[in-house]
Amino acid sequence: MPERTVAVASSSGLHARPAKIFVQEAARQGVRVRIRVGEGKPVPASSMLGVLSLGAVHGTQVTLDADGPGAEEALDTLVKLLSRDLDAGEAVDG
Amino acid sequence: MPDAAPLPLEPRAVVLDARAAGRDDAIRQCGELLLAVGAITEPYIASMLERERSISTYVGEGVAIPHGTAKAKQDVLRDAVCVVRFPEGVDWDGERVGLCVGIAAKGNGHVALLAALADVLLDPDRARNLREATEVETVMKELL
Repeated sequence: MPERTVAVASSSGLHARPAKIFVQEAARQGVRVRIRVGEGKPVPASSMLGVLSLGAVHGTQVTLDADGPGAEEALDTLVKLLSRDLDAGEAVDG
Repeated sequence: MPDAAPLPLEPRAVVLDARAAGRDDAIRQCGELLLAVGAITEPYIASMLERERSISTYVGEGVAIPHGTAKAKQDVLRDAVCVVRFPEGVDWDGERVGLCVGIAAKGNGHVALLAALADVLLDPDRARNLREATEVETVMKELL
């Protein structure tokens, strides 16, 4: 199964606004994407609770996997998203 | 973070039969509880409302997790959570919330707190136990 590992770029980690943006984008993909930290249990990338349960802070390496047609494209999209600081320009986040 | 830290919850920060006129009222009640247990100073409550207007803290399973903004960290005296159950439900921007877990955390502490809480809520049985809890002990047992 194709997978990618990327460091969370958002300054406040993967929660609040960055988590919401990520979860929404994951839900828009045509394939089921999972996310995990290290050898931890993978959770659906489209689940807010699942993503929050990772406890990913700025710099945490997360691994995404997906299977089926369109998996590579979905992973590319989501990796690109995680590589950006999704808090940027948000004065009230944290 | 594989191991969830226990949540800093004390029995007096648990209210099981609350009623709220709406989302903001529910958030204010969570803030008042955190204030009552000495976890925050008053300005933190306004920042919880500000955060909610910026982005909903609804996380699914009928649960919302109101907390303050990064700027309000100075108003946190110590890490704490409170649990407020609304048996009649609260309209939360179209979602129905039956349980609020208010969070106060210094520094990046909220990330670990949220992770620990999410871990509990991901278990459907434990999430149901929390939503339907009528005893403070039930809440303490699920969250500690």
